[in-house]
Amino acid sequence: MPNLDQPGPPQRPSESIHRVFHALGDPTRRALVERLSETPVTVSQLAEPLAITLAAVVQHLQILEESGLVRTEKIGRVRTCRIEPKGFSVMEQWIQDRRTAWERRFDRLTDFLMDEQSDE
Amino acid sequence: MDTMQQPTVNHSNFTLERNFPASPERVFSAFSDPAKKIRWHADGRNSEIVAFEMDFRVGGIDRYRYRMSADSPLKGAILSNDTHYLEIQPNRRIVIAYTMGIETAGENRPFSASLATFELLPTATGTDILFTEQSAFFEGADGPEMRKNGWTSLLKSLAEALSE
Repeated sequence: MPNLDQPGPPQRPSESIHRVFHALGDPTRRALVERLSETPVTVSQLAEPLAITLAAVVQHLQILEESGLVRTEKIGRVRTCRIEPKGFSVMEQWIQDRRTAWERRFDRLTDFLMDEQSDE
Repeated sequence: MDTMQQPTVNHSNFTLERNFPASPERVFSAFSDPAKKIRWHADGRNSEIVAFEMDFRVGGIDRYRYRMSADSPLKGAILSNDTHYLEIQPNRRIVIAYTMGIETAGENRPFSASLATFELLPTATGTDILFTEQSAFFEGADGPEMRKNGWTSLLKSLAEALSE
């Protein structure tokens, strides 16, 4: 079992966004993320409904953990997996930065119209 | 055909549809009233407004100038936006032509020219804006290069934000 507890070296953002998209580019890993977004589970619970080996799940989890989307923690003999919300904000920020100038303007126009209304 | 020149202008068309929680009259006034427009049109994140002159009538020209902050990709340069009003139907439609550019020593070098149409459509809860932009991006005046620098810088800021 690879050591999942050591934090990696600081990553450049192009690297971290690459890891996020790479991690989510695989349907099995997306299924794992979907499952974890409902509730934290142990590695074996995570493997159960999937027609893949425990070793394969561990490999997918390692990629998800390196991308920052998922965290695992070993307590006693049991490794528990959960969603890491910070990993998703990397992706949100990346997408946000790529919205056009007009989309950002329209966001501000919405804010302005709401403020104006509440001032009345 | 070996000697065929590559085009030096890139074109781009896109449309956006957005709903706003306000009547067409209020949305229109956010475009026509300078005190209102300055609140949302300018991107205050990494620039300071140097000029925000408006002449909202067909044939009128708005002149916006922004000084980009020292830590922005453009490092203190003056970003220019000259907007020409082509068509105005109160509470219904605005059509503009605008150029964006970099101003150095008073000389304005545009890097893009666009035709933009705002259609205001009343809905049960407010107003839909259908926005269509048709743009030409020029070479040389640092359009693509600036964008590339912009991406590099955005990724750099992201790295800094993430390492905090």
